[in-house]
Amino acid sequence: MLALLHEWLIAPFDYGFMRRALVAGLALSLAAPPMGVFLVLRGMSLIGDAMAHAILPGVALGFLVAGFSLPIMSLGGVLSGLLVAVLAGSVSQMTGQREDAAMASFFLISLAAGVMLVSLGGSSVDLTHVLFGSILAVNSTALILIAAISSLIVVILASIFRALVVECLDPLFLRGQGVHGGLVHGIFLGLVVLNLTAGFQTLGTLMAVGLMMLPATAARFWSKRLEGLIGVAVGIAMVASSGGLLLSYHLGIPSGPAIILLAGVGYMLSALLGRHHSLRARLQRQAAPLGAPEPH
Amino acid sequence: MSRATATRLRLHDLQLAQGNRTVLEHVEGSFRDGAITALIGANGTGKSTLIQGIMGMLKPIAGRVECSVPRERRAWLPQQLALDLSFPMSVEELVMTGSWPSHGALTGYCASHYRRGREIMARLGISHLAHRPLGELSGGQRQRALIGRTLMQEAELLLLDEPFANVDAETVDVLMTVLRDMAQAGATIIVVLHDMEQLARLADEVVLLASGHVQWSSPDAVLKTQAPHAAAASLSIAMPGVGTC
Repeated sequence: MLALLHEWLIAPFDYGFMRRALVAGLALSLAAPPMGVFLVLRGMSLIGDAMAHAILPGVALGFLVAGFSLPIMSLGGVLSGLLVAVLAGSVSQMTGQREDAAMASFFLISLAAGVMLVSLGGSSVDLTHVLFGSILAVNSTALILIAAISSLIVVILASIFRALVVECLDPLFLRGQGVHGGLVHGIFLGLVVLNLTAGFQTLGTLMAVGLMMLPATAARFWSKRLEGLIGVAVGIAMVASSGGLLLSYHLGIPSGPAIILLAGVGYMLSALLGRHHSLRARLQRQAAPLGAPEPH
Repeated sequence: MSRATATRLRLHDLQLAQGNRTVLEHVEGSFRDGAITALIGANGTGKSTLIQGIMGMLKPIAGRVECSVPRERRAWLPQQLALDLSFPMSVEELVMTGSWPSHGALTGYCASHYRRGREIMARLGISHLAHRPLGELSGGQRQRALIGRTLMQEAELLLLDEPFANVDAETVDVLMTVLRDMAQAGATIIVVLHDMEQLARLADEVVLLASGHVQWSSPDAVLKTQAPHAAAASLSIAMPGVGTC
Protein backbone atom coordinates (compact mmCIF):
# COMPACT_ATOMS: atom_id res chain seq x y z
CA MET A 1 0.00 0.00 0.00
CA LEU A 2 2.75 2.39 1.05
CA ALA A 3 4.72 1.43 -2.02
CA LEU A 4 1.71 2.21 -4.19
CA LEU A 5 1.24 5.58 -2.52
CA HIS A 6 4.92 6.31 -2.98
CA GLU A 7 4.74 5.34 -6.60
CA TRP A 8 1.68 7.58 -7.19
CA LEU A 9 2.46 10.59 -5.05
CA ILE A 10 6.23 10.80 -4.46
CA ALA A 11 8.07 8.98 -7.23
CA PRO A 12 7.01 11.35 -10.03
CA PHE A 13 8.86 14.13 -8.26
CA ASP A 14 12.14 12.27 -8.61
CA TYR A 15 12.27 14.02 -11.96
CA GLY A 16 13.64 17.55 -11.95
CA PHE A 17 11.04 18.88 -14.36
CA MET A 18 8.26 17.61 -12.08
CA ARG A 19 9.87 19.18 -9.01
CA ARG A 20 10.22 22.53 -10.77
CA ALA A 21 6.63 22.31 -12.01
CA LEU A 22 5.45 21.54 -8.47
CA VAL A 23 7.30 24.49 -6.95
CA ALA A 24 5.99 26.80 -9.69
CA GLY A 25 2.45 25.55 -9.16
CA LEU A 26 2.64 25.95 -5.38
CA ALA A 27 4.12 29.47 -5.69
CA LEU A 28 1.27 30.48 -7.97
CA SER A 29 -1.19 28.79 -5.63
CA LEU A 30 -0.03 31.05 -2.81
CA ALA A 31 -0.27 34.29 -4.75
CA ALA A 32 -3.19 33.88 -7.14
CA PRO A 33 -6.17 32.75 -4.98
CA PRO A 34 -6.11 35.75 -2.59
CA MET A 35 -6.39 38.03 -5.63
CA GLY A 36 -9.29 35.92 -6.85
CA VAL A 37 -11.02 36.18 -3.46
CA PHE A 38 -10.89 39.99 -3.63
CA LEU A 39 -12.05 39.99 -7.26
CA VAL A 40 -15.06 37.85 -6.31
CA LEU A 41 -15.85 40.04 -3.30
CA ARG A 42 -15.68 43.17 -5.43
CA GLY A 43 -18.04 41.67 -8.01
CA MET A 44 -15.22 41.67 -10.55
CA SER A 45 -14.94 37.94 -11.20
CA LEU A 46 -14.67 38.39 -14.96
CA ILE A 47 -12.04 41.13 -14.75
CA GLY A 48 -9.37 38.47 -14.19
CA ASP A 49 -10.41 36.85 -17.44
CA ALA A 50 -10.31 40.19 -19.24
CA MET A 51 -6.84 40.96 -17.89
CA ALA A 52 -5.63 37.51 -18.93
CA HIS A 53 -6.49 38.43 -22.51
CA ALA A 54 -4.99 41.86 -22.07
CA ILE A 55 -1.49 40.54 -21.38
CA LEU A 56 -1.46 38.50 -24.59
CA PRO A 57 -0.32 41.22 -27.07
CA GLY A 58 2.60 42.15 -24.80
CA VAL A 59 3.63 38.53 -24.39
CA ALA A 60 3.40 38.10 -28.17
CA LEU A 61 5.48 41.22 -28.81
CA GLY A 62 8.08 40.01 -26.33
CA PHE A 63 8.10 36.68 -28.18
CA LEU A 64 8.59 38.42 -31.54
CA VAL A 65 11.42 40.59 -30.22
CA ALA A 66 13.36 38.11 -28.10
CA GLY A 67 12.04 34.66 -28.95
CA PHE A 68 10.97 32.40 -26.12
CA SER A 69 12.53 34.54 -23.38
CA LEU A 70 10.35 34.42 -20.31
CA PRO A 71 11.60 37.67 -18.69
CA ILE A 72 11.04 39.69 -21.89
CA MET A 73 7.64 38.09 -22.55
CA SER A 74 6.64 38.70 -18.92
CA LEU A 75 7.68 42.33 -19.13
CA GLY A 76 5.64 42.71 -22.31
CA GLY A 77 2.68 41.05 -20.62
CA VAL A 78 2.81 43.34 -17.59
CA LEU A 79 3.09 46.45 -19.78
CA SER A 80 0.26 45.52 -22.11
CA GLY A 81 -1.96 44.41 -19.19
CA LEU A 82 -1.43 47.71 -17.41
CA LEU A 83 -1.93 49.65 -20.65
CA VAL A 84 -5.25 47.95 -21.31
CA ALA A 85 -6.38 48.54 -17.71
CA VAL A 86 -5.50 52.24 -17.98
CA LEU A 87 -7.11 52.55 -21.43
CA ALA A 88 -10.31 50.85 -20.32
CA GLY A 89 -10.43 53.06 -17.21
CA SER A 90 -9.80 56.20 -19.28
CA VAL A 91 -12.42 55.37 -21.91
CA SER A 92 -14.88 54.62 -19.13
CA GLN A 93 -14.11 57.95 -17.39
CA MET A 94 -14.15 60.04 -20.56
CA THR A 95 -17.26 58.55 -22.14
CA GLY A 96 -19.22 57.48 -19.10
CA GLN A 97 -19.38 53.91 -20.38
CA ARG A 98 -19.33 51.29 -17.62
CA GLU A 99 -15.83 50.02 -16.88
CA ASP A 100 -16.77 46.38 -17.47
CA ALA A 101 -18.07 47.22 -20.96
CA ALA A 102 -14.87 49.12 -21.83
CA MET A 103 -12.80 46.28 -20.39
CA ALA A 104 -14.73 43.68 -22.41
CA SER A 105 -14.10 45.65 -25.61
CA PHE A 106 -10.39 46.03 -24.94
CA PHE A 107 -9.82 42.43 -23.98
CA LEU A 108 -11.38 41.19 -27.20
CA ILE A 109 -9.17 43.59 -29.17
CA SER A 110 -6.19 42.39 -27.13
CA LEU A 111 -6.92 38.74 -27.77
CA ALA A 112 -7.19 39.27 -31.52
CA ALA A 113 -4.04 41.42 -31.59
CA GLY A 114 -2.11 38.89 -29.54
CA VAL A 115 -3.10 35.90 -31.66
CA MET A 116 -2.29 37.89 -34.80
CA LEU A 117 1.17 38.85 -33.50
CA VAL A 118 2.09 35.31 -32.46
CA SER A 119 0.86 33.90 -35.77
CA LEU A 120 2.91 36.44 -37.71
CA GLY A 121 6.12 35.56 -35.92
CA GLY A 122 5.81 31.91 -34.99
CA SER A 123 4.11 28.63 -35.57
CA SER A 124 0.89 27.15 -34.23
CA VAL A 125 3.02 25.31 -31.66
CA ASP A 126 4.23 28.67 -30.31
CA LEU A 127 0.68 29.96 -30.23
CA THR A 128 -0.49 26.93 -28.27
CA HIS A 129 2.40 27.39 -25.87
CA VAL A 130 1.54 31.03 -25.19
CA LEU A 131 -2.19 30.41 -24.92
CA PHE A 132 -2.09 27.24 -22.86
CA GLY A 133 1.35 27.17 -21.22
CA SER A 134 3.64 24.31 -20.46
CA ILE A 135 4.29 23.82 -16.79
CA LEU A 136 6.48 20.79 -17.39
CA ALA A 137 8.85 22.96 -19.43
CA VAL A 138 9.56 25.38 -16.57
CA ASN A 139 13.33 25.82 -16.28
CA SER A 140 15.31 27.28 -13.39
CA THR A 141 15.18 30.85 -14.75
CA ALA A 142 11.42 30.66 -15.18
CA LEU A 143 11.05 29.13 -11.74
CA ILE A 144 13.01 31.94 -10.09
CA LEU A 145 10.93 34.51 -11.96
CA ILE A 146 7.65 32.86 -10.97
CA ALA A 147 8.72 32.51 -7.33
CA ALA A 148 10.00 36.10 -7.20
CA ILE A 149 6.81 37.56 -8.71
CA SER A 150 4.62 35.43 -6.44
CA SER A 151 6.58 36.53 -3.36
CA LEU A 152 6.38 40.17 -4.43
CA ILE A 153 2.62 39.86 -4.88
CA VAL A 154 2.15 38.35 -1.42
CA VAL A 155 4.25 41.09 0.20
CA ILE A 156 2.49 43.94 -1.62
CA LEU A 157 -0.93 42.41 -0.97
CA ALA A 158 -0.08 42.16 2.74
CA SER A 159 0.95 45.83 2.71
CA ILE A 160 -2.28 47.05 1.16
CA PHE A 161 -4.49 44.41 2.78
CA ARG A 162 -6.27 46.65 5.28
CA ALA A 163 -6.72 49.45 2.78
CA LEU A 164 -8.10 46.95 0.28
CA VAL A 165 -10.53 45.53 2.83
CA VAL A 166 -11.75 48.98 3.82
CA GLU A 167 -11.94 50.04 0.17
CA CYS A 168 -14.12 47.02 -0.60
CA LEU A 169 -16.35 47.48 2.43
CA ASP A 170 -16.67 51.23 2.71
CA PRO A 171 -14.74 53.31 0.15
CA LEU A 172 -15.98 56.55 1.72
CA PHE A 173 -14.25 55.70 5.00
CA LEU A 174 -10.99 55.28 3.12
CA ARG A 175 -11.47 58.55 1.26
CA GLY A 176 -12.21 60.26 4.54
CA GLN A 177 -8.77 59.22 5.70
CA GLY A 178 -7.16 60.85 2.69
CA VAL A 179 -6.36 57.59 0.92
CA HIS A 180 -7.54 57.66 -2.66
CA GLY A 181 -9.48 54.47 -3.33
CA GLY A 182 -8.38 54.63 -6.96
CA LEU A 183 -4.77 54.21 -5.90
CA VAL A 184 -5.54 51.07 -3.91
CA HIS A 185 -7.69 49.78 -6.76
CA GLY A 186 -4.91 50.53 -9.28
CA ILE A 187 -2.26 48.72 -7.23
CA PHE A 188 -4.61 45.78 -6.87
CA LEU A 189 -5.26 45.58 -10.63
CA GLY A 190 -1.50 45.84 -11.19
CA LEU A 191 -1.03 42.82 -8.92
CA VAL A 192 -3.66 40.91 -10.91
CA VAL A 193 -1.74 41.60 -14.11
CA LEU A 194 1.56 40.64 -12.47
CA ASN A 195 0.03 37.44 -11.22
CA LEU A 196 -1.32 36.46 -14.61
CA THR A 197 2.05 37.21 -16.16
CA ALA A 198 3.72 34.89 -13.67
CA GLY A 199 1.19 32.23 -14.55
CA PHE A 200 1.28 32.28 -18.32
CA GLN A 201 4.47 30.19 -18.63
CA THR A 202 2.92 27.40 -16.62
CA LEU A 203 -0.75 27.55 -17.53
CA GLY A 204 -0.87 29.90 -20.51
CA THR A 205 -2.42 33.32 -20.74
CA LEU A 206 -5.92 31.92 -21.05
CA MET A 207 -5.81 29.43 -18.20
CA ALA A 208 -3.65 31.28 -15.66
CA VAL A 209 -6.79 33.00 -14.50
CA GLY A 210 -8.29 29.60 -13.62
CA LEU A 211 -5.97 29.13 -10.65
CA MET A 212 -6.98 32.61 -9.49
CA MET A 213 -10.74 32.38 -9.83
CA LEU A 214 -11.85 28.75 -9.40
CA PRO A 215 -10.40 28.27 -5.88
CA ALA A 216 -11.80 31.68 -4.90
CA THR A 217 -15.32 30.95 -6.14
CA ALA A 218 -15.19 27.49 -4.51
CA ALA A 219 -14.08 28.98 -1.18
CA ARG A 220 -17.30 31.02 -0.96
CA PHE A 221 -19.09 27.73 -0.21
CA TRP A 222 -16.85 26.97 2.77
CA SER A 223 -16.27 30.17 4.73
CA LYS A 224 -17.95 33.45 5.58
CA ARG A 225 -14.76 35.05 6.84
CA LEU A 226 -12.12 36.73 4.73
CA GLU A 227 -9.22 34.82 6.28
CA GLY A 228 -11.20 31.61 5.84
CA LEU A 229 -11.90 32.38 2.19
CA ILE A 230 -8.25 33.04 1.46
CA GLY A 231 -7.06 29.99 3.40
CA VAL A 232 -9.54 27.63 1.71
CA ALA A 233 -8.82 29.10 -1.74
CA VAL A 234 -5.05 28.66 -1.30
CA GLY A 235 -5.61 25.10 -0.09
CA ILE A 236 -7.78 24.20 -3.08
CA ALA A 237 -5.26 25.77 -5.46
CA MET A 238 -2.38 23.81 -3.92
CA VAL A 239 -4.27 20.52 -4.11
CA ALA A 240 -5.28 21.29 -7.70
CA SER A 241 -1.71 22.19 -8.71
CA SER A 242 -0.03 19.15 -7.21
CA GLY A 243 -2.92 16.81 -8.01
CA GLY A 244 -3.13 18.06 -11.58
CA LEU A 245 0.57 17.49 -12.10
CA LEU A 246 0.30 13.93 -10.79
CA LEU A 247 -2.72 13.20 -12.97
CA SER A 248 -0.89 14.64 -15.94
CA TYR A 249 2.13 12.44 -15.22
CA HIS A 250 0.23 9.21 -14.62
CA LEU A 251 -2.47 9.57 -17.26
CA GLY A 252 -0.39 11.29 -19.92
CA ILE A 253 -2.73 14.24 -20.20
CA PRO A 254 -1.77 17.94 -20.63
CA SER A 255 -0.72 19.39 -17.28
CA GLY A 256 -2.27 22.90 -17.50
CA PRO A 257 -5.80 21.74 -18.28
CA ALA A 258 -5.44 18.93 -15.69
CA ILE A 259 -4.67 21.50 -12.96
CA ILE A 260 -7.51 23.81 -13.92
CA LEU A 261 -9.97 20.94 -14.38
CA LEU A 262 -9.07 19.65 -10.93
CA ALA A 263 -9.73 23.12 -9.52
CA GLY A 264 -13.03 22.97 -11.42
CA VAL A 265 -13.85 19.66 -9.72
CA GLY A 266 -13.11 21.42 -6.43
CA TYR A 267 -15.58 24.13 -7.36
CA MET A 268 -18.30 21.66 -8.35
CA LEU A 269 -17.85 19.62 -5.17
CA SER A 270 -17.92 22.80 -3.09
CA ALA A 271 -21.12 23.95 -4.77
CA LEU A 272 -22.67 20.57 -3.98
CA LEU A 273 -21.28 19.88 -0.51
CA GLY A 274 -19.92 23.15 0.94
CA ARG A 275 -20.92 24.52 4.36
CA HIS A 276 -22.60 27.69 3.13
CA HIS A 277 -25.12 28.22 0.35
CA SER A 278 -24.27 24.88 -1.29
CA LEU A 279 -26.94 22.51 -2.51
CA ARG A 280 -26.45 20.35 0.60
CA ALA A 281 -26.59 23.36 2.94
CA ARG A 282 -29.80 24.55 1.30
CA LEU A 283 -31.44 21.14 1.64
CA GLN A 284 -30.41 20.85 5.29
CA ARG A 285 -31.19 24.45 6.21
CA GLN A 286 -33.08 24.82 9.45
CA ALA A 287 -33.67 28.01 11.38
CA ALA A 288 -31.84 28.09 14.73
CA PRO A 289 -34.23 28.36 17.70
CA LEU A 290 -34.52 31.67 19.51
CA GLY A 291 -31.82 32.07 22.15
CA ALA A 292 -29.41 29.71 20.42
CA PRO A 293 -25.75 30.72 20.74
CA GLU A 294 -24.31 32.85 17.94
CA PRO A 295 -22.48 30.81 15.31
CA HIS A 296 -18.84 31.91 15.10
CA MET B 1 -24.30 82.81 13.21
CA SER B 2 -22.55 81.27 16.18
CA ARG B 3 -19.46 82.97 17.46
CA ALA B 4 -17.74 80.08 19.14
CA THR B 5 -15.03 80.53 21.73
CA ALA B 6 -13.23 77.28 20.84
CA THR B 7 -13.47 75.88 17.37
CA ARG B 8 -11.41 73.70 15.12
CA LEU B 9 -13.71 73.94 12.12
CA ARG B 10 -14.37 77.19 10.27
CA LEU B 11 -15.93 77.83 6.90
CA HIS B 12 -14.71 80.88 5.01
CA ASP B 13 -17.01 82.24 2.29
CA LEU B 14 -17.44 78.70 0.99
CA GLN B 15 -19.00 77.95 -2.37
CA LEU B 16 -19.74 74.34 -3.26
CA ALA B 17 -21.08 72.85 -6.47
CA GLN B 18 -22.22 69.48 -7.76
CA GLY B 19 -21.18 69.33 -11.39
CA ASN B 20 -21.94 72.70 -12.93
CA ARG B 21 -24.64 73.59 -10.41
CA THR B 22 -23.75 75.73 -7.41
CA VAL B 23 -25.45 74.21 -4.39
CA LEU B 24 -24.21 76.48 -1.60
CA GLU B 25 -22.51 79.88 -1.61
CA HIS B 26 -21.18 82.44 0.85
CA VAL B 27 -21.15 79.86 3.64
CA GLU B 28 -19.41 81.47 6.56
CA GLY B 29 -19.25 80.31 10.16
CA SER B 30 -17.68 78.03 12.71
CA PHE B 31 -18.67 74.88 14.56
CA ARG B 32 -18.10 74.93 18.29
CA ASP B 33 -15.93 72.24 19.91
CA GLY B 34 -17.95 70.00 22.19
CA ALA B 35 -21.25 70.97 20.56
CA ILE B 36 -23.68 68.98 18.48
CA THR B 37 -24.81 70.98 15.45
CA ALA B 38 -27.85 69.86 13.49
CA LEU B 39 -27.99 70.50 9.75
CA ILE B 40 -31.58 70.89 8.65
CA GLY B 41 -33.19 71.76 5.37
CA ALA B 42 -35.38 70.31 2.69
CA ASN B 43 -34.12 67.63 0.32
CA GLY B 44 -31.68 69.05 -2.22
CA THR B 45 -30.68 72.09 -0.16
CA GLY B 46 -27.09 70.88 0.14
CA LYS B 47 -26.77 69.12 3.48
CA SER B 48 -24.79 66.20 2.07
CA THR B 49 -22.85 68.59 -0.17
CA LEU B 50 -21.79 70.62 2.85
CA ILE B 51 -20.67 67.46 4.63
CA GLN B 52 -18.64 66.42 1.59
CA GLY B 53 -17.07 69.86 1.47
CA ILE B 54 -16.14 69.75 5.15
CA MET B 55 -14.65 66.25 4.76
CA GLY B 56 -12.53 67.50 1.86
CA MET B 57 -14.20 65.19 -0.64
CA LEU B 58 -15.65 68.02 -2.65
CA LYS B 59 -13.32 70.78 -3.74
CA PRO B 60 -14.79 74.24 -3.12
CA ILE B 61 -15.43 76.53 -6.08
CA ALA B 62 -14.48 79.42 -3.84
CA GLY B 63 -13.63 79.99 -0.19
CA ARG B 64 -12.12 77.38 2.06
CA VAL B 65 -12.65 74.99 4.94
CA GLU B 66 -10.27 75.53 7.84
CA CYS B 67 -10.08 72.37 9.95
CA SER B 68 -7.42 71.71 12.54
CA VAL B 69 -8.70 68.25 13.51
CA PRO B 70 -6.17 65.65 12.29
CA ARG B 71 -7.48 63.66 9.35
CA GLU B 72 -7.33 60.35 11.21
CA ARG B 73 -9.65 61.83 13.86
CA ARG B 74 -12.30 62.88 11.34
CA ALA B 75 -15.15 60.49 10.78
CA TRP B 76 -18.01 60.57 8.34
CA LEU B 77 -20.94 58.26 8.83
CA PRO B 78 -22.80 58.24 5.55
CA GLN B 79 -26.19 56.71 5.04
CA GLN B 80 -25.95 52.96 5.49
CA LEU B 81 -26.33 52.05 1.84
CA ALA B 82 -22.72 53.10 1.22
CA LEU B 83 -21.60 49.84 2.86
CA ASP B 84 -21.08 46.64 0.90
CA LEU B 85 -23.05 44.36 3.18
CA SER B 86 -22.08 41.21 1.32
CA PHE B 87 -18.46 41.69 2.36
CA PRO B 88 -17.47 38.97 4.84
CA MET B 89 -16.84 41.12 7.88
CA SER B 90 -18.08 40.72 11.43
CA VAL B 91 -19.25 43.46 13.77
CA GLU B 92 -16.05 43.22 15.80
CA GLU B 93 -13.90 43.48 12.68
CA LEU B 94 -15.82 46.55 11.53
CA VAL B 95 -15.37 48.23 14.90
CA MET B 96 -11.66 47.38 14.84
CA THR B 97 -11.17 49.07 11.45
CA GLY B 98 -11.72 52.33 13.33
CA SER B 99 -8.24 52.01 14.78
CA TRP B 100 -6.73 51.53 11.34
CA PRO B 101 -6.13 55.21 10.41
CA SER B 102 -4.01 55.89 13.49
CA HIS B 103 -2.64 52.37 13.90
CA GLY B 104 -1.14 51.96 10.45
CA ALA B 105 -1.49 49.39 7.73
CA LEU B 106 1.11 46.83 8.71
CA THR B 107 1.01 46.48 12.49
CA GLY B 108 -1.33 43.90 13.94
CA TYR B 109 -3.85 44.70 16.66
CA CYS B 110 -2.69 44.09 20.21
CA ALA B 111 -4.69 42.92 23.24
CA SER B 112 -5.45 46.48 24.34
CA HIS B 113 -7.06 47.23 20.96
CA TYR B 114 -9.32 44.21 21.24
CA ARG B 115 -10.11 45.11 24.85
CA ARG B 116 -11.15 48.59 23.79
CA GLY B 117 -13.17 47.18 20.94
CA ARG B 118 -15.05 44.93 23.36
CA GLU B 119 -15.66 47.84 25.75
CA ILE B 120 -17.08 49.91 22.90
CA MET B 121 -19.36 47.08 21.76
CA ALA B 122 -20.59 46.63 25.35
CA ARG B 123 -21.30 50.36 25.60
CA LEU B 124 -23.36 50.16 22.43
CA GLY B 125 -25.13 46.97 23.50
CA ILE B 126 -23.81 44.88 20.62
CA SER B 127 -21.38 42.55 22.42
CA HIS B 128 -23.58 39.56 21.62
CA LEU B 129 -23.31 40.41 17.91
CA ALA B 130 -19.50 40.61 17.84
CA HIS B 131 -19.05 37.69 15.45
CA ARG B 132 -22.16 38.19 13.36
CA PRO B 133 -21.64 39.18 9.69
CA LEU B 134 -22.69 42.72 8.83
CA GLY B 135 -25.15 41.47 6.24
CA GLU B 136 -27.17 39.73 8.96
CA LEU B 137 -27.71 42.81 11.12
CA SER B 138 -30.80 44.98 11.39
CA GLY B 139 -30.57 48.67 10.47
CA GLY B 140 -30.26 49.70 14.11
CA GLN B 141 -27.60 47.10 14.89
CA ARG B 142 -25.59 48.19 11.86
CA GLN B 143 -25.78 51.81 12.90
CA ARG B 144 -24.56 50.93 16.39
CA ALA B 145 -21.63 49.03 14.84
CA LEU B 146 -20.76 52.03 12.65
CA ILE B 147 -20.85 54.38 15.63
CA GLY B 148 -18.60 51.83 17.35
CA ARG B 149 -16.09 52.31 14.56
CA THR B 150 -16.03 56.07 15.11
CA LEU B 151 -15.54 55.53 18.86
CA MET B 152 -12.64 53.20 18.07
CA GLN B 153 -11.28 55.92 15.82
CA GLU B 154 -11.50 58.37 18.73
CA ALA B 155 -13.14 60.77 16.31
CA GLU B 156 -12.85 64.43 17.24
CA LEU B 157 -14.88 65.60 14.26
CA LEU B 158 -17.91 63.47 13.50
CA LEU B 159 -20.30 64.07 10.62
CA LEU B 160 -23.43 61.96 10.51
CA ASP B 161 -25.87 61.85 7.63
CA GLU B 162 -29.34 61.01 8.95
CA PRO B 163 -28.03 58.56 11.58
CA PHE B 164 -31.48 57.80 13.01
CA ALA B 165 -33.24 56.96 9.75
CA ASN B 166 -34.85 53.49 9.87
CA VAL B 167 -33.51 52.91 13.37
CA ASP B 168 -35.51 51.63 16.34
CA ALA B 169 -36.27 53.89 19.31
CA GLU B 170 -33.95 52.02 21.69
CA THR B 171 -31.05 52.42 19.28
CA VAL B 172 -31.83 56.13 18.91
CA ASP B 173 -31.56 56.48 22.71
CA VAL B 174 -28.27 54.57 22.85
CA LEU B 175 -26.76 56.55 19.95
CA MET B 176 -27.86 59.89 21.37
CA THR B 177 -26.26 59.06 24.72
CA VAL B 178 -23.01 58.08 23.01
CA LEU B 179 -23.00 61.22 20.84
CA ARG B 180 -23.65 63.40 23.89
CA ASP B 181 -20.73 61.71 25.71
CA MET B 182 -18.47 62.30 22.70
CA ALA B 183 -19.44 65.96 22.58
CA GLN B 184 -18.80 66.36 26.31
CA ALA B 185 -15.35 64.90 25.70
CA GLY B 186 -14.76 67.79 23.27
CA ALA B 187 -15.68 66.32 19.88
CA THR B 188 -17.29 68.51 17.22
CA ILE B 189 -20.39 66.73 15.97
CA ILE B 190 -22.48 67.67 12.94
CA VAL B 191 -25.68 65.73 12.31
CA VAL B 192 -28.10 65.89 9.39
CA LEU B 193 -31.56 65.65 10.93
CA HIS B 194 -35.12 65.76 9.66
CA ASP B 195 -37.00 65.03 12.86
CA MET B 196 -37.75 68.03 15.09
CA GLU B 197 -38.12 65.89 18.21
CA GLN B 198 -34.66 64.44 17.67
CA LEU B 199 -33.36 67.96 17.07
CA ALA B 200 -34.87 69.10 20.36
CA ARG B 201 -33.27 66.21 22.24
CA LEU B 202 -29.82 66.31 20.66
CA ALA B 203 -28.78 69.60 19.10
CA ASP B 204 -26.90 72.45 20.77
CA GLU B 205 -26.85 74.52 17.61
CA VAL B 206 -28.66 74.44 14.29
CA VAL B 207 -27.59 75.28 10.77
CA LEU B 208 -30.49 75.94 8.43
CA LEU B 209 -29.93 75.32 4.73
CA ALA B 210 -32.19 76.88 2.14
CA SER B 211 -31.91 78.42 -1.32
CA GLY B 212 -28.15 77.89 -1.48
CA HIS B 213 -27.42 79.68 1.78
CA VAL B 214 -26.94 78.70 5.41
CA GLN B 215 -27.90 80.38 8.62
CA TRP B 216 -26.78 79.55 12.13
CA SER B 217 -29.54 79.35 14.70
CA SER B 218 -30.43 77.69 18.00
CA PRO B 219 -32.73 74.71 18.59
CA ASP B 220 -35.11 76.89 20.60
CA ALA B 221 -35.43 79.44 17.82
CA VAL B 222 -36.08 76.73 15.24
CA LEU B 223 -38.52 74.84 17.41
CA LYS B 224 -40.52 77.97 18.13
CA THR B 225 -41.34 78.20 14.45
CA GLN B 226 -41.90 74.48 13.92
CA ALA B 227 -44.45 71.95 15.12
CA PRO B 228 -42.85 69.07 17.03
CA HIS B 229 -42.43 65.69 15.29
CA ALA B 230 -42.58 67.33 11.88
CA ALA B 231 -40.05 66.78 9.18
CA ALA B 232 -38.13 69.86 8.18
CA ALA B 233 -38.45 68.82 4.56
CA SER B 234 -42.14 69.41 4.67
CA LEU B 235 -41.98 72.65 6.59
CA SER B 236 -41.24 76.22 5.80
CA ILE B 237 -38.03 77.20 7.54
CA ALA B 238 -37.81 80.94 7.84
CA MET B 239 -34.47 82.38 6.83
CA PRO B 240 -34.32 86.14 6.77
CA GLY B 241 -32.99 87.44 3.52
CA VAL B 242 -32.89 84.11 1.67
CA GLY B 243 -36.55 83.24 1.45
CA THR B 244 -37.96 79.91 2.51
CA CYS B 245 -37.36 76.31 1.53
